Amino acid sequence: MPAENPGKLSRRQVLAAAGSAGLAALTGCGSGDDGGDAKDLSKKRNGAMREYRVGQQFKATRPLTFDVLHNDNPVYPLRDDWLFWKELTRRTGVTLKPIGVPLSDYEKKRSVMIGAGDAPFLIPKTYHPSETAFVSSGAILAVSDYVHLMPHFRDKVAKWRLEPELDSIRQSDGRFYLLPGLHEKVRSGYSLALRTDVLGRLGLDPPTTWDQVHEVFRAIKEEYPDRYPLSDRWSTNTPYPAAALMSYLGQAYGVRAGWSYDNISFDRRAEKFVFTGATDGYRQMVGYLRKLVAEKLMDPESFTQTDDEAVQKLLGEKSFAISANPQELVQNYRYNLERQVEGSAIEMIPVPLGPAGPVVLGGARLENGVMIAGKALRSDDFVALMQFVDWLWYSDEGQRFARWGVQGVTHTRSGGEYRLEPGISLMGSDPDAEKDLQKDYGFYNGVFAYGGSWDLVSSMFGPDEQRFQDVMSRREQLPVDPAHPLRSVEQEQASLWDTPLRDHVTQNTLKFALGKRPLSEWDAYVSELTAKNMRHLVDLHNRAYERFRKENG
Amino acid sequence: MVSVDRPTRGYRVFQKVNGVVLTLVVIVTLYPFVNIVARSFSGERQIRAGEVTLWPKGFDLTTYEVVLRDEMFWRNYGNTVLYTAVSTAVAMVLTTCYAYVLSKRQLKGRGFLVTVAVFTMFFTGGLIPTYVLITSLGLKNTVWALALPNAISVFNLLVMKAFFESLPAELEEAAQIDGLSTYGILLRIVLPLSKAVVATMVLFYSVSFWNSWFGAFLYLDRSELMPVTVYLRNLIAGATGGAGAGAGAEQLSQTAANIQAVTIVLTSLPILCVYPFVQRYFVSGVMLGAVKG
Repeated sequence: MPAENPGKLSRRQVLAAAGSAGLAALTGCGSGDDGGDAKDLSKKRNGAMREYRVGQQFKATRPLTFDVLHNDNPVYPLRDDWLFWKELTRRTGVTLKPIGVPLSDYEKKRSVMIGAGDAPFLIPKTYHPSETAFVSSGAILAVSDYVHLMPHFRDKVAKWRLEPELDSIRQSDGRFYLLPGLHEKVRSGYSLALRTDVLGRLGLDPPTTWDQVHEVFRAIKEEYPDRYPLSDRWSTNTPYPAAALMSYLGQAYGVRAGWSYDNISFDRRAEKFVFTGATDGYRQMVGYLRKLVAEKLMDPESFTQTDDEAVQKLLGEKSFAISANPQELVQNYRYNLERQVEGSAIEMIPVPLGPAGPVVLGGARLENGVMIAGKALRSDDFVALMQFVDWLWYSDEGQRFARWGVQGVTHTRSGGEYRLEPGISLMGSDPDAEKDLQKDYGFYNGVFAYGGSWDLVSSMFGPDEQRFQDVMSRREQLPVDPAHPLRSVEQEQASLWDTPLRDHVTQNTLKFALGKRPLSEWDAYVSELTAKNMRHLVDLHNRAYERFRKENG
Repeated sequence: MVSVDRPTRGYRVFQKVNGVVLTLVVIVTLYPFVNIVARSFSGERQIRAGEVTLWPKGFDLTTYEVVLRDEMFWRNYGNTVLYTAVSTAVAMVLTTCYAYVLSKRQLKGRGFLVTVAVFTMFFTGGLIPTYVLITSLGLKNTVWALALPNAISVFNLLVMKAFFESLPAELEEAAQIDGLSTYGILLRIVLPLSKAVVATMVLFYSVSFWNSWFGAFLYLDRSELMPVTVYLRNLIAGATGGAGAGAGAEQLSQTAANIQAVTIVLTSLPILCVYPFVQRYFVSGVMLGAVKG
């Protein structure tokens, strides 16, 4: 990369520029400025269906074309001849015109285009809270005002009781600006993977609780005194050390930790927000980590090494357990172990249980979603646009289409079973196949396929993930933290306090775990947090919570 | 004048030390490159294990195959060649003209023209205004969006100006008396004498256009228009990004470890081939620009 590139800016600079310039360039695009009542949509029904209900196929009454920002994934590079585009037009009468943006810098270009008023109507693949940066300029639509045009969206929100989750993405004006992907159930991503052949040799069963994990590690340590049973990864490229492990370990203690960490979390019993890094659950979790490290069951380098180094230790049998997700398990660990260690077997176990019981953390049922450009509201096609979005992203039929494609061409379905047509592969499912569902047909594209019913989501699982998710989906989902949107002034203040606190928690979690600081100093650590405005931050959020409750019931 | 026939002892020691130090410098600079080339031909496992140093281990061409088999790679590579050629040509014409004018001391408003140029070194219009400008000029999705905004590099301009100033004014006076016009002088007298600096500037410009990706990423909307740098950047992001719907087919995760090496080799190769031919001018060009006559 050329160091002297004049256009090279940090993301923060781009966002700041987008924010300020967006304000100047786009003050004319707010939802109120269309020469009439914004809520009066009767003149914007060009191409829209008069009657559009749940279960109905959307079909524009006259041909329409919408631009869409397209996140161009190198695994399946954008192609104009995808069956997806053709079939979509045939079914809905809408032609989508993709604006290809390389995945590597998608957010940057999105910011610039929105800031310059040059964004297309549809801006998918947006992760909350990145939409917040565009709210004040009016460059994006407060979609919550128009969900009455979207029967499938509302149906799924009601059926799957997603209101609390939606509340969590509301801005301080009580509206939300992002149409998120909706999931029926939480899809757990990460857990511990263990060398089951080693367990078998030692006569051990796969552990189901963290206490058993401890025992299993001790048994492995006895057998291999010079090696660490666990050497973990996901410590680089994330602000948190051992980010995945802490995330699912924290879940067992009912706290958000690792890369799920948030300074603020809601205490159901006390009915108020508390500081996560100072809770008792967090302390217990740190204590558990300390125990593993102190007994040399966990490699202290777990918190600093790169992913490659951790995997290399696993492959070299210097360790026997590592954090995994189903993809890494199959494509990396097992794939390479089979080639290097004869008779090896590795499995990912359901997240071991801890004091919090069989629970999964709430809030993971919303996925990235679609923003609609504010200027779309001024278009005559606005109603049709919303109906189209509703069909493609939220109807069962649209979601099935985006994932599996056309029945009889790309797949066949009988009962709840989906089967790819012969000669079509998906993510290496059939190495001899000539065609690929993503590359050659444009389905199961991250831009269009997300969310959905558990049946649909699980239809794409491999056998390992199926087993894992079967267990995980039976666990109770902890309630989502109640909505407590901050006003923009508060938001600025909060982020000033947020980062130093977060850093302090992260640093000390590491110190406690590595034994550089004894856990008996926990109280001192909490008072250090207080000195860094912990109380102020918690109070700020509690005030916002009270206010939102009063104003919105 | 002893030193001419027989170097002094001190000088011989100096030469030896010099040789050793410079050899070390060569090794230090060459090693990373050789290592990258070796990695690009090595197997994934060997790279991860850190076994690859100077020679490929577990010889593997999968990544080259994946990258080279891709039609889009070749199309984008072609784009890069085209964009670099057009941009460099535009940049050379504009920079040469500007620099030549500025080198004339009798020019009225010369100070102002220099200030205008230098001003842009320190202040830019900002990302979004520039984007709006390019868009409203209708340059989006054309080569001009890449060639025009960066056509004059102020640094190169000043180097060239200094070089032109160092040419003896008598030459131009003589040409004038012989009846050459201003453009004639520039084309027939000045430029032929300035091969060194021109070659240097061509090299500077083409390397920077070859490597640049941000402008293309910003102003081009279709993948078939992108230069190869954007293609490779995206490939690396896809290979290391991992998660998300349908990321990481086996083939790709397989190549993730040496994909970076392959991309570096493929993008730097052409420029590397040009270097030896321009190097002669390059050395004298830099010297001449630096020391005014």
